[in-house]
Amino acid sequence: MMNIKAFQLVSAIERELLMGDKDRINIECVECCGKNLYVGTNDCFVYHFLLEEKTLPTGTATFTATKQLHRHLGFKKPVNELRAASALNRLLVLCDNSITLVNMMNLEPIPTGARIKGAVTFALNENPVSGDPFCVEVCIISVKRRTIQMFMVYEDRVQIVKEVSTPEQPFAVAVDGHFLCLALTTQYIILNYNTGVSQDLFPYCSEEKRPIVKRIGRQEFLLAGPGGLGMFATVAGISQRAPVHWSENVIGAAICFPYVIALDDEFITVHSMLDQQQKQTLPFKEGHILQDFEGRVIVATSKGVYILVPLPLEKQIQDLLASHRVEEALVLAKGARRNIPKDKFQVMYRRILQQAGFIQFAQLQFLEAKELFRSGQLDVRELISLYPFLLPTSSSFTRSHPPLHEYADLNQLTQGDQEKMAQCKRFLMSYLNEVRSTEVANGYKEDIDTALLKLYAEADHDSLLDLLVTENFCLLTDSAVWLEKYKKYFALGLLYHYNNQDAAALQLWVNIVNGDIHDSTRSDLYEYVVDFLTYCLDQELVWKYADWVLQKSEEVGVQVFTKRPLDEQQKNSFNPDDVINCLKKYPKALVKYLEYLVIDRRLQKEEYHTHLALLYLEEVLQQRPSTNDKCAEVTGMQAKLRNLLQKSDLYRVHFLIDKIQGTGLHMESAILHGKLEEHEKALHILVHELKDLSAAEDYCLWSSEGRDGPYRQRLFHTLLAIYLSAGASDCELVVAAVDLLNHHATEFDASQVLQLLPDTWSVQLLCPFLTGVMRHSIHTKRMTQVAVGLAKSENLIYSYDKMKLKGSSIRLSDKKLCQMCQNPFCEPVFVRYPNGRLVHTHCAASRHTNPNSSSPGNRT
Amino acid sequence: MKKPDVKIVLLGDVNVGKTSLLHRYMERRFQDTVSTVGGAFYLKQWRSYNISIWDTAGREQFHGLGSMYCRGAAAVILTYDVNHLQSLVELEDRFLGLTDTASTNCLFAIVGNKVDLTEEGAAEDQEKEEGCSREAGSSCASAKVSKQVKLEDAVALYKKILKYKMLEEKDMPAAEKMCFETSAKTGYNVDHLFETLFDMVVPMILQKRAEGPPQTVDISNYKQPKQTKSGCCA
Repeated sequence: MMNIKAFQLVSAIERELLMGDKDRINIECVECCGKNLYVGTNDCFVYHFLLEEKTLPTGTATFTATKQLHRHLGFKKPVNELRAASALNRLLVLCDNSITLVNMMNLEPIPTGARIKGAVTFALNENPVSGDPFCVEVCIISVKRRTIQMFMVYEDRVQIVKEVSTPEQPFAVAVDGHFLCLALTTQYIILNYNTGVSQDLFPYCSEEKRPIVKRIGRQEFLLAGPGGLGMFATVAGISQRAPVHWSENVIGAAICFPYVIALDDEFITVHSMLDQQQKQTLPFKEGHILQDFEGRVIVATSKGVYILVPLPLEKQIQDLLASHRVEEALVLAKGARRNIPKDKFQVMYRRILQQAGFIQFAQLQFLEAKELFRSGQLDVRELISLYPFLLPTSSSFTRSHPPLHEYADLNQLTQGDQEKMAQCKRFLMSYLNEVRSTEVANGYKEDIDTALLKLYAEADHDSLLDLLVTENFCLLTDSAVWLEKYKKYFALGLLYHYNNQDAAALQLWVNIVNGDIHDSTRSDLYEYVVDFLTYCLDQELVWKYADWVLQKSEEVGVQVFTKRPLDEQQKNSFNPDDVINCLKKYPKALVKYLEYLVIDRRLQKEEYHTHLALLYLEEVLQQRPSTNDKCAEVTGMQAKLRNLLQKSDLYRVHFLIDKIQGTGLHMESAILHGKLEEHEKALHILVHELKDLSAAEDYCLWSSEGRDGPYRQRLFHTLLAIYLSAGASDCELVVAAVDLLNHHATEFDASQVLQLLPDTWSVQLLCPFLTGVMRHSIHTKRMTQVAVGLAKSENLIYSYDKMKLKGSSIRLSDKKLCQMCQNPFCEPVFVRYPNGRLVHTHCAASRHTNPNSSSPGNRT
Repeated sequence: MKKPDVKIVLLGDVNVGKTSLLHRYMERRFQDTVSTVGGAFYLKQWRSYNISIWDTAGREQFHGLGSMYCRGAAAVILTYDVNHLQSLVELEDRFLGLTDTASTNCLFAIVGNKVDLTEEGAAEDQEKEEGCSREAGSSCASAKVSKQVKLEDAVALYKKILKYKMLEEKDMPAAEKMCFETSAKTGYNVDHLFETLFDMVVPMILQKRAEGPPQTVDISNYKQPKQTKSGCCA
């Protein structure tokens, strides 16, 4: 166990001061009370000194004792024990088995001569039970065998209060309240002198070895145990602290929190009560007295008196930290809590935690270090500042003084070991990442985030991007330089973007895509840029890079116009004409954009519809000659064209008919004719030129969509007429006509059809048609009858209401007010609601709600 | 210093591995220890409770301290060396008497340590059978011996203890639950031992709290364990 310096041994009374050159005079006992120091000698003298403490500039304490007086007690026996009772201004002197009271100042015996006779040894009760401040409680081991006596000692009298007998002869005693802690012949016991109940502690042979019984605090004693143990015991007979390990020949013990001090014939040893470890050993020969007096520890040989001066706890802790004994330092600091004012303690303790944290950190004990930094509320910048160049140049941080550690920087700490350096950096990364969102970061978020960015960039860490795309406080200039240094151009772009410098960001990214600078962070950077522009609010930037993205890919690039967020379309949107103008060079993009305008945004503008139809047409025509067989794309484009032609009503039909003439696009021209209501022509094309009869039938259906019945009937009749006009020679068309009639029976006017049909056709042939028509006709008739009936009865109800209302008259007087505006009626004209309320005609006209809103009704 | 809610004490002959067991549990490793002087104690945070665990010295010299350490204990861990029958015998002869000062409802666990040294505990074979395990230190780490003490012996001792304490077997945890075989060296069963005990003492803490703990133990009010249901008259 390494030592720490907890105490310093300082001489208090020089030998010359006491006895001069008289060799046979020995110190028997000492007592210290405030500045008063008393010494009892073997030649029955009591000396009184005044003790002055001085601290030298070097920090070491010195004591000078000035002799006040000395007095012979009048016996030939040594002075065995001295105890001061300052409240009574009395010194209790044990000499020749008798305790006398003398004045503390002049050492004169008190006039009454009060004394306690027959005492072998005595102890004061430091936790008195009487509550009388002008009385001390004294416990003596009597000269009578196995007897303990309790006395109350007043200024000039003594009074015995209790006598108890013990099972064995007592050798030493200490008192706390009603509890006596006794060393008997074979064991230690706790004895309650009030109740007489005793509690065994542990065996100890007091005749073989001098026992020690030392009260160390409320209800707790320190005892010399077997094997040189210092045992702790409470009045309940329980040990709450582990024992300390003294030498076998220990002769005295004292307490100076948190230390237990013990004396043997060669050494003074110091143990901590906090971890039971031996902390210090001071060589001290021939010592025979060790006692503590209100925190002052005095040790004496038979010739001289010395004081053990405790070093300030902070100094001790700093010494421990300096020798990297973190655990002990923390235990000592924690143990000192109750001796130091709370505010001061917290400041001190926090600092110690931080220092301890750096010690652990330097040993790469990161978990421990982190916990210490956290509990010590370390200013994170202290840690960051260890790493060269991580703190922003603009940071105002300076390390705390005195420094928390001995390291200039990480290079010194790791002594250039790259692996250690990397470990430290990884630790800082995780640590900063953890604290950046906690209150620890308050006030220096910039420093933390910038440092984190630098670490990520250097380590090529994935979280760099996460950091930049979420809320962060990275300082632009510092971070930009660093990102450039590590060629993190994509991240640099993100940084610019975060700082509202989209132009700079885009320029960087475009340069990366173009290969001017190298950064492989994203393989899909082009798509990223397109996406970025799509959501970019700055139109100028979009225009600036529109050509660039379109040149890279028309289909993808056009998204900057077609995929813009919806909310933007309401206001501040791009002018479609400008976009179309721009896209002229990019036909594919132009088609996509027009589709977007016409289909997605449903812009009702003829130019776009016509333009789109024309582009489709051109595309279809372009693909046609090369590929005669219908491959998927041809039909795809054609389907788009047909769909547009069918759905839209806005394009210029004549213009397109001109374009389509002679191209063989029969279906398309049929649709166009249909748009001009030239159904006969359209159907004619379908039947005779395209020869697609089902297409003709479909045409009748979709052309009449949303139109009334007769319109659709007309179309079917037209088609039937075309089929029939071909004459019986065209067998295929005849069959088609029959099928048409049988499948769409209800679309025809049966009476007209029957006149058109050739007489040769059998009823059987047209059976489905005829039954269908009949059913339909009967159904219609019946439905009409129902409607007539309903209408009649409705009419009857209204007639009844009208009669009822007309039956009574309404009086209009000055007292009647309009229910809407609460003004009287000035004219005989009014409106009456069915619920009887009257209002002005103009009020009724202007109202939105009925005056009695629960029952809206008709005016009468 | 945090006030412990409850106390657990390790008892057993010298060199059975009390300190190593505690060290293995608290520090998660095994290291050579020197013979314990006097005693030592650890404070273990278990859930919201502070449990003090006292490691005692097995040496005869410190035997007298045992009673004081056991005073008011909620559980006593009686430890022996599975390779050394005498260490089990000593538990009954010397150490059981020390537990008279423990609390009346004190739990007892009987732990046979050093199973790593037995033939069952390790695959390797050895040269000598002689129990060098008595020697201080770990000089015998490589010697594999056949296990001298069976678990049934420990179970029998447990039942004897209950009889000695005049406790009904049905009122106490079953012997099979309270007899453990461990190895502080490998960590075998060590956590299980301590955590089983912790779980068992928690209700005792709660009970103590509910009763409102006195600041000091009232020694005048000490009651003998209940004798009304003693087995001999049944």
